[in-house]
Amino acid sequence: MKLRFFTKFDAATVKIWTPIVEAYEKQNPNIKVTMETVAGSGAAIYPDVLRTSMAAGDPPDVFFMWGGEVAGPFIDAGQVMELGALYDKHGWKARMTPWTVDAITRNGKVWGVPYNARGMGFFYRKDIFAKYKLAEPKSYAEFEQICATLKTNKIYCASFGGKFGWHPMRLLDYLTETACGPEVHNQLNRLQASWDIPCAVDAYGRLKKWVDNGWLVPDFLSVTPADARMPVYLGDAAMIIEGDWFEFVVRGDKQPTTNLDFFVPPTGHQPLRYSAFPQQWMVPAKAKNPDASAQFIDFITAPATQKQFPAAFTASATIGIEPDCKEWPITCKWRQIITTSRDIYPPTDQAFTKELMDGFFEVQSGIIAGRITPADGGKMMQARAEAWKASKK
Amino acid sequence: MEHALLYVSLSILALIWILPFVTVLLSALRSQGDLFSRGVFALPEEIDWSNFTEAWKTGGFEIYFRNSLFLILVKVPLGILLASLAAYPLAKLQFRFSMAVFVFFLLGLAVPVQVTLQPLLVMMKQLGIANSLWALIPPYVAFGLPFQIFVMRGFFRLIPSELIECARIDGASELVIFRRIMLPLSVPALATLFIIDSQATWNEFIIALVLVSSKASRTVPVGLLQFQGEFASQYTQLMAGIVISIAPVIAIFIFLQRFFVSGLTQSAVKG
Amino acid sequence: MTGLRSASGTGALGWAQDRTAWMFLAPAVLVYCVFLVYPMLSSLWISLFKWDGMSAEMKFIGGENYWRIFLEDEVSRKALWNNLLWTLAALLLPTSFGLALALALDTKLKGVVVFRTIFYGPGVLPLVAVGLIWSWMYNPHFGAVNTILKMMDLRHLTRGWLSSYDTALAATFVTYLWSHVGFPMVLYLAGLQAIPRDLYEAASLDGATALQRFRHVTLPGLKETHVIVLSLAVIHALKVFDLIYTMTYGGPGRETQVLGTWMYFQSFQYYNAGYGAAIAWVITAIILLIAIPYIRHMTKT
Repeated sequence: MKLRFFTKFDAATVKIWTPIVEAYEKQNPNIKVTMETVAGSGAAIYPDVLRTSMAAGDPPDVFFMWGGEVAGPFIDAGQVMELGALYDKHGWKARMTPWTVDAITRNGKVWGVPYNARGMGFFYRKDIFAKYKLAEPKSYAEFEQICATLKTNKIYCASFGGKFGWHPMRLLDYLTETACGPEVHNQLNRLQASWDIPCAVDAYGRLKKWVDNGWLVPDFLSVTPADARMPVYLGDAAMIIEGDWFEFVVRGDKQPTTNLDFFVPPTGHQPLRYSAFPQQWMVPAKAKNPDASAQFIDFITAPATQKQFPAAFTASATIGIEPDCKEWPITCKWRQIITTSRDIYPPTDQAFTKELMDGFFEVQSGIIAGRITPADGGKMMQARAEAWKASKK
Repeated sequence: MEHALLYVSLSILALIWILPFVTVLLSALRSQGDLFSRGVFALPEEIDWSNFTEAWKTGGFEIYFRNSLFLILVKVPLGILLASLAAYPLAKLQFRFSMAVFVFFLLGLAVPVQVTLQPLLVMMKQLGIANSLWALIPPYVAFGLPFQIFVMRGFFRLIPSELIECARIDGASELVIFRRIMLPLSVPALATLFIIDSQATWNEFIIALVLVSSKASRTVPVGLLQFQGEFASQYTQLMAGIVISIAPVIAIFIFLQRFFVSGLTQSAVKG
Repeated sequence: MTGLRSASGTGALGWAQDRTAWMFLAPAVLVYCVFLVYPMLSSLWISLFKWDGMSAEMKFIGGENYWRIFLEDEVSRKALWNNLLWTLAALLLPTSFGLALALALDTKLKGVVVFRTIFYGPGVLPLVAVGLIWSWMYNPHFGAVNTILKMMDLRHLTRGWLSSYDTALAATFVTYLWSHVGFPMVLYLAGLQAIPRDLYEAASLDGATALQRFRHVTLPGLKETHVIVLSLAVIHALKVFDLIYTMTYGGPGRETQVLGTWMYFQSFQYYNAGYGAAIAWVITAIILLIAIPYIRHMTKT
């Protein structure tokens, strides 16, 4: 029997998952698992390929998914299997860190099994910071100061790859949280507040400032997020916004990780929130063999399996699975933060559906390129939000 | 003197024209570290074939090649057969609506693929072949018919009608005439179409992108783009993947160039 | 299928010939109608609805999608504009370049085949590969373009060619030019070789200069070829998709969106199947405007 396992894993991640799949096949000799991936573009292209396969009536048996509004359209279109019964059958609730299940609950029901809980912050080159006697900023003003200092020393403060929009979005998200505070940021994400209110325009203004001051590696709008790592590796840029997975990625790129550290950027608000999101496994509503799908998910979320293959589960939602702090010090540090602080906000691309998100990216890119003023950007974004709301009626 | 000037300018232009190929090939033969340290225009100090082997196995090109070849072997002969069958009456048989049917097919040249995608997706699902290579064959055949019918009809018309009349008088059926006279005499045109259609099938992108989502059924162009996503910052491997993708088409082109050229000029002849 | 028949194809025997003809035509007609014509018409129908392409419900909205394309959606209008620019450029640049190359290669130079191979070669490649090759050329750090500019001491001209709103479309078009110059070149070569040499000799005897020979013998002799080259150039240009999808993905922002890619985004990423179908039909209608006169011209016997 064939089981199609669909993910967004890149080549390095596929490598560490292959033994896991093989272990499953060994335990279940009559099942052949094929791993398929759509990689490199994050949530930009993967959901489309997934959706096409669903439209064709040939969905994968188990698939990876982010949370929020990336998963939302699939759930709302009835394409995903509701897993309440399976949770009871396999006792998954007891296995998962509670808030991870809450994070992927939608409309009171659970549609997936948590895989990871991820968090993002600014990764920086320790040696560059040391060289210019910089310390992790405690306030936004200090942060800007850091960038100014780096600039005078001809180093870019941060590197981004704008090709799909979601990488620079991380910066804009941070600036929005800083300018507007948690309450209003939430409202903006729910389209309950208008995007042309002063603090949102201020956020756009700060983005423009980062670009105009030369703090970002220039000409990055067509660069892929993966390519954005280059300047940091080469020492041309000091920072990049990435998440708890980054230590693994850097090792995969055969670059040293001893040189890296990260901080959760200061927002000046209470509570100090950071950008975080869940990842989950889902089963299509029209799965050919739901039990087989469930069995596989059970295997890959089981503590026993995850302990056997620690490299693949450094941010696991399964209780008791912690990364090896000696081997993955940075990941471990992230783990601390993620498990202790639940003050988080989602990346905007998990708050908006694709069509609205592309409108968001259009404004974001326009401001970065200097073609739209922050004030106009706010108006444009709000217009897009209104149009989208109207089209959903 | 004039000639020398012409020669020189053409040569310079030609060098500029091959530059992209050369760059890609050079980058594919080096290791990433070498690329970073010495920049893009340095010759490889030692040739690194691992980029190619990585791309082939891990990158999945083994699968993509197999799929594209399968498509070519099935679709190309099928399409050309259908086109030739259709071209015969349009060229040699008098029947009503002959010109209308011909124009009907020709209009297909104007149809952008996009306008058929969504319904094709639904259709393939209903036929139960969605997300497989089989789903690509019918639309590929359909979109290839206009050009192929045009070329075959043009060629058939050049075959002397006396040959056909004689055969008829001898009692041959139209099918026999088609098999024994029209096809054998059209081998140059058939060969041309075979080669051009194979190239077009290898290169087709958007229909394959939309109709097929699983890795096992990806064709080379779709696979190449996917490969770029997977190996995003491993430039040298990406270059190797590109070289692998284009090597067959280039090889066929260099050795069988005249077929491409004659195919073009055929399409230029008024019909 | 009977044997003897009359030449005129009318009368009782004519019907038999009709039937034979249709039997030969049937397979092609069937495949063509089912997999090209029918989907086309189905798209036209879909374009009158609001539909996500998957669920059963479709909401009839008449011509509203078309209204949106021309009057409400800024991106559609930008896409239309880009298509216009692209098509104009395709009408002028690869074609005149191709003509120039054809003229240069029409002489009895040694190694003409080599040149022809080099200039036509890019045209046989999958456009995805061409797009990726040139994305590499345009890479801000390692790309050949910026590297050469730096080597020529023109560092100030280096930029992110595909990242910049001002240069993205043009940079992508350069790639199109690279891969599409061979096609007109070969067609013009064939056309040039079809011009009878004695026309040139006669003109020379009359004392015409090279330029005059060009204007009065070559250009008129190429009239037929012009029609083909220009019509096909326009038709190909309007269909553009692969290069833009691969190189810029419609960006930066939506700056390089064209109707071909915008249709794809709408239908397969935003699940506005009806709207996407309408965009597809706008492309089709524009192409048909060009193609119909061309086909009529081609079939005048």
